[in-house]
Amino acid sequence: MTRTIPLIIGLAIATVATIVLCTFIGPAGFGFVSTAPGAADIVGGIRLPRVLAAFFVGASLAVAGAAMQSLFRNPMADPYILGTSSGGALGASLAIVFFGGFFVPIFAWIGAVVAILIVWSIAGRKGVISVETLLLTGIAVSFFFSAIVSFLIAVAGQNVHQILFWLMGGFWNASPGDAMLAAAILIPAGALLFFMGRDLNALSLGEETAAHLGIDATRARWIVLGASTLLVAGAVSIAGSIGFIGLVTPHIVRMLAGPDNRIVIPASILAGGIILVISDTLARTFFSDLPVGIITAFIGAPFFIWLIYQRGTTV
Amino acid sequence: MNKKTTLNAGNLSAGYSVQEIVKSVSCSFTAGTFTGIIGPNGSGKTTLLRAFSRVLPSSGILELDGKPVAGFTPAELGMALGFVPQDEARPFSYTVMQVVLMARYARTSRFSSLTPADYDRCHAVLDETGIAHLKDRSIRALSGGEWQRVLIARALAQDTKVLLLDEPTSHLDLSHQSDALALMKALAGTGSTILGVFHDLNLAALYCDRLIMIREGSLVADGTPDEVLTPEKIREVYGAEVVTARHPATGRTFLMPLSTRSCKTPDVQETPIRVLVVSGGGSGAGLLHILAGRGYDLSAGILATTDTDYGVAQALGIPSIPILPFSQIPAHALEKLRGMAARADRIILSVHPVSAGNLPVLSVLHDVGPVKVIVHLPEGREFVSYDFAKGAAATAMMDLCSAGASCTGTYDGILVFLEQSDHKIPPQPE
Repeated sequence: MTRTIPLIIGLAIATVATIVLCTFIGPAGFGFVSTAPGAADIVGGIRLPRVLAAFFVGASLAVAGAAMQSLFRNPMADPYILGTSSGGALGASLAIVFFGGFFVPIFAWIGAVVAILIVWSIAGRKGVISVETLLLTGIAVSFFFSAIVSFLIAVAGQNVHQILFWLMGGFWNASPGDAMLAAAILIPAGALLFFMGRDLNALSLGEETAAHLGIDATRARWIVLGASTLLVAGAVSIAGSIGFIGLVTPHIVRMLAGPDNRIVIPASILAGGIILVISDTLARTFFSDLPVGIITAFIGAPFFIWLIYQRGTTV
Repeated sequence: MNKKTTLNAGNLSAGYSVQEIVKSVSCSFTAGTFTGIIGPNGSGKTTLLRAFSRVLPSSGILELDGKPVAGFTPAELGMALGFVPQDEARPFSYTVMQVVLMARYARTSRFSSLTPADYDRCHAVLDETGIAHLKDRSIRALSGGEWQRVLIARALAQDTKVLLLDEPTSHLDLSHQSDALALMKALAGTGSTILGVFHDLNLAALYCDRLIMIREGSLVADGTPDEVLTPEKIREVYGAEVVTARHPATGRTFLMPLSTRSCKTPDVQETPIRVLVVSGGGSGAGLLHILAGRGYDLSAGILATTDTDYGVAQALGIPSIPILPFSQIPAHALEKLRGMAARADRIILSVHPVSAGNLPVLSVLHDVGPVKVIVHLPEGREFVSYDFAKGAAATAMMDLCSAGASCTGTYDGILVFLEQSDHKIPPQPE
């Protein structure tokens, strides 16, 4: 409890610092005060929207991950667990193959939401949905959609490159509109999840436990799933499927502040944003604009393995 | 004491998608009582409890304080009814205090913080349940028993009038079991309605005011522990043989299981074998219960009217030869015993203390034919430890065995002996 206020304040300061610093870092150089020709355009027109989009997408993935881990009572769950990323990938691939790359974000969003709806309706056909059924259905639907994506890649011809880059995730074309869209989803959905903090705490011990503690467990579950789906679908439609941010960020936060979701939720928002902004800055500055998904996976996967190793004593 | 009905169920049925587990159960519970729900594995005890707490949909009447439970909001229900599960997954490292504080969620708006009063209440409960020292420990680092006490504490911190417990002491050791149940009993004493599922019938008998027994989802017995925990009921519902006795310290009923092979429903015997059980000092009580349940034509030997065996024989309607306690066996009683022994197809000598006073009984058995006698000497015991006749009793019992009587250390041995016998009386050694 005593560590939480300093943590949130520290993260808020780090957020501002990261956004400012990363906006002024890039392959084209430019210091904080630059009068070079084109500096204002690059910094304000290209870098700032990209940094902000990365921040909001990272925040969305991390907070959705934190919420879903509590809901599924599984700290190893990631926000793509219900098929969102494979649905988004399928939508994007379809747009690339059949519409020459137009409407990719819209198709990705539709794909992500359709995947979730399919998972819900299959898992929920008997009226009562168990968490286990949802997880297994999510895995099955993911595999099925991934198979279609693989098929599209096989027949895509010259578009293969575009699909593969989308699958790895990145912010090359991030526009001010993307940043605003991500913020428009994150602010209400993040606030909703923050005020569901207690429900999430109770749900993380089991839906029946939550019900016995006076929580409307069914309603809470649908709110959490709905908000998370919106967040993840938005993130996927803007930046493709960027792995490990949603999986690892809540862990780092829990290690620092404990598992109470009233802290984990806001801290994940800030930390997820910071991590993705830094990763994207590394990608575009030092790795000639490598897909940022490669960076996050490269750092996230070993970290995740270390987490599994540590589990039992900490987490 | 307030005898108001708090929880009331009428024709309550509940179950899972395919199968109805609880079938038309009607019962109500009054404030200030601690009721135990007992029944064999898979009989629907936990399902009934979950139907009561509304986490399992049910049909029929379910009322709390006279109002339909269906009409309660989740938060109202969380303030009216607490639940202690058998166990609960612990995926995250909450501290014990954080988990107990969750009990206060139902009473707090999501837009405000818990109050100092909430913290005080939770601290008080931690003290009450003896886990204050675990307050800041991670729940993932607790033992099963410590975690179970946290779950009990959390339910207590909900401050509900009704408390449902699903085997609340299954992970607890002896002293923590009695601590936890004494706490529940005290809570009932202050007007709470406590319902607990129990596997351990003796614990249930010790702490509960009332027991309801469930079999295959239906209520089969409802009453005080004395009324419900009879050997007949236990045999019928659990298929197990037990002897009941009074707890020497508390005066409560308690059960002792008898080691027998699988207790099939007693065979109905066309011409029952006549079995004489010679016992004393309570040594034959369990045997009489078992054999009566299996349909043997029983008689008991000479028994002092203060003997437990006499009480059991009386209760089961088994003829015996009563004599006054602490008296010499009268000659006519011995004659009656001789007649009984002669008529019996099989005689069981359940070894008991023998002094000069009841030594003649052994010679009667010797006379009527040791071949049809089986001597039951509990495993690990010796004849001499029952000898209070300066060696004469032990000698007499050993003579009986060497003259052809069978000898066994277990009830199973007796049952085998009886089952092997045909109806013919074995040849008399005359």
